[in-house]
Amino acid sequence: MMHTEEKSYRISDLMTCAIANMLQDHETVFHGVASHMPMVAMQLAKHTHAPNLTHLNIPGGVNPSSIKEASYSSAGSDLFAHSESYFPLEEVFDLSMRGGLDVAFLGGVQFDIHGNVNASVIGDYHKPKVRLPGGAGSAVLIPTAKKAIIWRTKHDTRTFVEQVDFVTTRGNVWKIITPLCIFEYRNGKLHLDSIHPTSSLEEVKENTGFELLYDELKYTEEPTTEQLNVLKKIDPFDYRSLEF
Amino acid sequence: MDSKVMNLKDAVSMIKDGTKIALGGNVLHRAPMAFVREIARQGIKDLQIVKTAGAHDIDLLSAMGNVSSVEAGFVSYETKYGLASHYRKGVESGEIVAHEHACYTVISALRGAVINAPFMPVHGLKTGDLLIENDYFVVVEDPFTGEPVTLVRTITPDVAIIHVHECDAKGNARIFGPKFEDVLMSRAAKKVIITTEQIVPESKMKYQNEHIDIPGFLVSAVVHTPKGASPCSCYKKYDIDEKTLEAFVSYKEKSEIQSYLDEYEQKDHAGGRGMFI
Repeated sequence: MMHTEEKSYRISDLMTCAIANMLQDHETVFHGVASHMPMVAMQLAKHTHAPNLTHLNIPGGVNPSSIKEASYSSAGSDLFAHSESYFPLEEVFDLSMRGGLDVAFLGGVQFDIHGNVNASVIGDYHKPKVRLPGGAGSAVLIPTAKKAIIWRTKHDTRTFVEQVDFVTTRGNVWKIITPLCIFEYRNGKLHLDSIHPTSSLEEVKENTGFELLYDELKYTEEPTTEQLNVLKKIDPFDYRSLEF
Repeated sequence: MDSKVMNLKDAVSMIKDGTKIALGGNVLHRAPMAFVREIARQGIKDLQIVKTAGAHDIDLLSAMGNVSSVEAGFVSYETKYGLASHYRKGVESGEIVAHEHACYTVISALRGAVINAPFMPVHGLKTGDLLIENDYFVVVEDPFTGEPVTLVRTITPDVAIIHVHECDAKGNARIFGPKFEDVLMSRAAKKVIITTEQIVPESKMKYQNEHIDIPGFLVSAVVHTPKGASPCSCYKKYDIDEKTLEAFVSYKEKSEIQSYLDEYEQKDHAGGRGMFI
């Protein structure tokens, strides 16, 4: 079924819609820095099935009605200017510490089957071969948010590895979405949750550095026409594709 | 009444080699860039930088060899401009020590300074190599419950440098839009230096006293630096300067960055002694 028909959407659309589908109405959701895709997905969810979702972010604007102003930052001025109230970053962290954050979006550069996440270094921590940006809030948000979702627009054997170089944080990852598939973390291991209809089991296997665990083969839901239409409106400058 | 207004050069000369400085703003937003550039021009050495999430500020100082260590949760530009390559190179060569935090642990460590406690408990940080590799995190037994609890050592910046929209000559300062961790930093640091878009009469600040974020009695110096956050953004005043940032991230040679500093020199000093009329 793969690669044969012309798709009416791109991988970035599919990922954004799949992320939106992970979010439920009335959830309190946070995205951080360099997080355009989750930011758009949250807005998409709010405009479709989750109108009562609470959108929190770094500038502290609660439920911004616009996310269009900054292509260079997921902390653009409209997130504050078009918000309904102010809830600054320190308080978002505090909220998560006391169990009040439903979903946090976080990044990372390396992942292994045990749900270890590396956003810190390649090589030795004190003498790194590559110094990465750092985990930002990951190390405190992944353990405390009710659900932690990781998105990564690269899926290869350097990203999904046998063993990460450094454990910035671990455990309590709920889902990891990539251009090829979605992993779910269950019983201490990453399981293949669904394969995108644009990919295949072989492709996921080839590009994953650890054993693929799955009970049944499922495919990720394709974006609906409604979702694609809403995306055009809320994300006219296509920020969801910035990382591609 | 003593005015705290001084020119940029004199204010920066208050920063000695080895000072621990907290920089206001977040990533590409409201970083005190005019002050940061003057630090680079004056060639101050061995600075210890504190920030939750930094980008151009830390990258520039790393490029010019002003930094010995960085305590931060994230140092990078966002997606569009990529990694902070000068910072990265500094850490990889061993010139700069990266003390990686989890953003919130910087906040907790600053809160420790605010209340003059030697450390703060951090609920969320329970696992991973950051706990193992860094001596500023310790896991102890909660004396009340016997459960493990992570402590972070307090960070007390010598100086916090915060760029604001307006303040008066006493330093009563107001930030419009996102405040990030700047108010916290102003309470945690031993000294506060304000750089400001505008110096306004005291009467104006008095009129809006309930909106003052940093009271003047905490402030040591006020520097008038119009467009002082550029090429970073300043809420409702100006957005980022894309051309400058794009050019900067392509620089590889120190001489290129030196000419970037030279180009800004006149603008950075344009506020002079900051007359507000």
